[in-house]
Amino acid sequence: MLDQLLLILPMAITVIGAFFLMLLSWNKRFTLKDYNLVAVFFLSLSFILELPQLWNTEVIYIFPEVFGKMYVIDNFSTLFDLMFTAGAILTLLINTDYFKSRNYFNGEYFALILFSVFGMMTLAHSNELVTAFIALEIASLSVYALAGYHKSNRLSSEAMLKYMILGSMTGAFFILGTALIYGAVGSTTLGDIAAFIKGSGDSETLLVITGGTFIMVTILFKIGAVPFHSWVVDVYHGAPFPVTMFMASTFKIALFAIALRLYLVDFAPINAIWSELLQVITVLTLIGGSWLAITQDNLKRMLAGSSIVHSGYMLIAISSIGLGSQEAAPAIMFYLMSYFLSSVGAFGILSFIASRSQKSLTFEDFKGFAQRRPYLAAMMAIFMLSLSGFPSTIGFLGKFYIFTSAIESGQILLAGLGILTAFISVYYYFKLIAMMYFYPTNESQKRFPMDLSGVLIGLMAVLVIWGGIGTGLIPFIPGVDGFIDIAKQAVLSLQ
Amino acid sequence: MEAVLSYIIFFPLFTTLFMGFFRVGLRTLRIGAMLSSLLVFLLVLLVAAYFDPDGGMQFIRVLPWIEHYGITYKLGVDGISLVLLLLIAFLMPLLYLYMWTEERKGYWYNMMLLQTGVTGAVLSLDLLLFYLFWETMLLPIFIMIGRYGSGMRQFNAMKIVLMTVLGSMSMFFSILYLGYEFFAVNGWWSFALSDLSTLELDPRTSIWLAGGFLLAFAIKIPLVGFHTWMAPAYGSAPTPAVVIMSAIMAKLGIYGLWRFGYGLFETTLSYYAPWVMTLAIIGLLYYAIHAIMEPSLRRMFAYSSGSHLSMIALGVFLTNIYAWGGSLYFIATHALASAGIFLMIGLLYKRTRSDNIDDLGGIASYAPRFTFFFVFFALSIAGLPGTGGFVAELLIIIGAFKEEFWIGVLTATTMLSAMLYIFWMLQRTVFGPETVATEYFEDLNAREMAMLIPIVALLLITGIVPSLFIPLFEPQIAAMLADLLHSIGGL
Repeated sequence: MLDQLLLILPMAITVIGAFFLMLLSWNKRFTLKDYNLVAVFFLSLSFILELPQLWNTEVIYIFPEVFGKMYVIDNFSTLFDLMFTAGAILTLLINTDYFKSRNYFNGEYFALILFSVFGMMTLAHSNELVTAFIALEIASLSVYALAGYHKSNRLSSEAMLKYMILGSMTGAFFILGTALIYGAVGSTTLGDIAAFIKGSGDSETLLVITGGTFIMVTILFKIGAVPFHSWVVDVYHGAPFPVTMFMASTFKIALFAIALRLYLVDFAPINAIWSELLQVITVLTLIGGSWLAITQDNLKRMLAGSSIVHSGYMLIAISSIGLGSQEAAPAIMFYLMSYFLSSVGAFGILSFIASRSQKSLTFEDFKGFAQRRPYLAAMMAIFMLSLSGFPSTIGFLGKFYIFTSAIESGQILLAGLGILTAFISVYYYFKLIAMMYFYPTNESQKRFPMDLSGVLIGLMAVLVIWGGIGTGLIPFIPGVDGFIDIAKQAVLSLQ
Repeated sequence: MEAVLSYIIFFPLFTTLFMGFFRVGLRTLRIGAMLSSLLVFLLVLLVAAYFDPDGGMQFIRVLPWIEHYGITYKLGVDGISLVLLLLIAFLMPLLYLYMWTEERKGYWYNMMLLQTGVTGAVLSLDLLLFYLFWETMLLPIFIMIGRYGSGMRQFNAMKIVLMTVLGSMSMFFSILYLGYEFFAVNGWWSFALSDLSTLELDPRTSIWLAGGFLLAFAIKIPLVGFHTWMAPAYGSAPTPAVVIMSAIMAKLGIYGLWRFGYGLFETTLSYYAPWVMTLAIIGLLYYAIHAIMEPSLRRMFAYSSGSHLSMIALGVFLTNIYAWGGSLYFIATHALASAGIFLMIGLLYKRTRSDNIDDLGGIASYAPRFTFFFVFFALSIAGLPGTGGFVAELLIIIGAFKEEFWIGVLTATTMLSAMLYIFWMLQRTVFGPETVATEYFEDLNAREMAMLIPIVALLLITGIVPSLFIPLFEPQIAAMLADLLHSIGGL
């Protein structure tokens, strides 16, 4: 009993923290800094309590006599939980200055972040479709509210409405899919569904396949795959910076958590059925995302467009799983880690700049940035290189694993298209480097900000490089292999 | 001793990191850069001294890197890479001497990074390690052109990056595919060249995989049709970057053909031979005609460099010992000569703020020493007997005649057309009446002489006693050639 409670303590802490912050924000005495500290405290506590779980390879169901197999704790979910909490901590800490510079943040903001982290953690742990849906909605509703947090801003309100209306509508697909599957299987537990599929013929699985397709629509919408992408650029642009950062890095990872679990466990015997559909969507996503990213002037919009392309790369690997690639699932996990590091870093620098000026952050605004802030510019360049998959950064290895798995599963053309879009992405990422380094400015050089956000961004930059070239020869520090080993272990715990 | 190659690669990088971390002043920075390059040169000489010409691949160093995918950190040096290694190490200190008065610190950092990049690409024997260096050596060039260049520098920097990355992406795809094929056959991953070269691919696959590599190298060399980045990039880049591009990076394209083209696709590369040879012969003539018409000196020698590199590429695809020996020898001597001439153009530009032929003239009457060096390097580009270029070009032409009479004739035209544009250029720049720009033309100072004399000396030695150098690499290319002819089934 007690050990089971201990296991769910990390999730419990986030939700307790969220309620605590809600109560706290009644009292007007506290400042934003206090709220931020409290939120970070709860998240860090959750992170630290969860960390030892990373070495636990058992699969544990929580209170099986009550919940059955609804709620599972395995290495896979632990790794995702750690990414969520780390992502939330980073978004909160890096944006400290941003919160100060804008007047619309208050205590509920932090509560919402914690609620959505709780939702995402539950999503990663859920082994049952209804639980997954509830968790997804907890996380989504919090993010809808966050996206519209700048109430007086037209763009922010537009983002919230657009996201919420479309998101709720596609959310309905999930529940419809669940109902169809329940109709066929009589259970919504992933293990039961998988067993049913294995044990029955084509005609009986038809409902399950239809249901699965509906669920897929929801997930594809949330990760911004083309043709469900129309919200991405506007929402990313309209939402306040810390929220965009949170959505791009953390929330997106959560969706891949459920997608992977569904795909690897639930629909494992029939996931080849979707590969053609997925391939078409992948092609559209890669091309459409590249087009969106190239045509933007605003950096936030460019990163939004390129986040679609990154989803596309991971979709390549998802359809590779269906075609029998062993390396694809760890490749996605690794790619998520690498994308997480690079995009949090890049958004962090943007928010750093935005907190000190009211610029809209177009490419033009970055002219001469290297002269004004050489260190930040160098880090930004590192993040851009990593996002474009330049060798010697972690982003390159992420792409390497993805494309290798695509070739392994015989999707040679898709791998070729992926490499082609990676080439296109060199253009829009290098454009920023060119803007930063190739134009002179009259403004004088500023000192490196030795505050928390500066140090954290620096740490991310180091990790990005280390993840790309790190050698395993140094004892106690995991090298490049270490990252993929963690990912492999997590995927193994699913089977 | 076994780690010496790693030191050679990473010493400049560590110097950069160290100095960047402590934010040293300009004086320390340039002394440090110079010392690091001299130390590397000494280490390279040491490698050359212990090098056994008949020993094949030597100084091999293998360390695990990404064990799960069998990617290793594998270095080694053989006759072909030794030539390039010596070249890089020899040119670097001279370039630093050229930039001695340069005050922008980023310039120095970029040059050191560039040295690490190109040296690493020459010495890597693992395909992904090679790819890593091949891509990263582009970054310093990107920054050098875009930040310190002239003209439409931002645009031209972007252009060279995009075109080269297109090539390397196609190579990356081929590398991945090869790696997977190896895994499918053997059940374990490896990206080491020595492992992948044992793969037996079916001809169709092998042909398009070879195409992926070839595209990367064709853009880097550049062959005609893949050359649109060349003249703008050479025109905009600062002199040290131009020297590296023409003397080292373009040669790396040829080196790649040898090492990876023939190393991996021994039998199928010949499928592309007619295409490449046609492009190379068109390139020979096309670039030469461009060079004749070009009014800007730097762009003119960019085209001249393209013309000679086409000749080297042709030599690589003419599979006989004369052409191969000549090509490898030409890599070295052309690198020296083009380094020399681009340095001279840099010096000229510093003095007159122009590299346009129409603005120049009459330099000979003000600056005899400058004129001597300028004429010497220009003539050695044209293949003056007594310089190394002559020996090399002659060997390639002999090889071409052995292959086919008409190829020989067309190849020989490079020497003639080079004479044409070189002499015409000399007549208009150093001789003739003086112009506003060349009035009070300062002659070379001691530092500049010190930088140029080693190149002149080496060009003369390579020209007069080629027998000093050829034995260094001859056994290996003879062995490679025999191997190749054996496997494509003919002699």
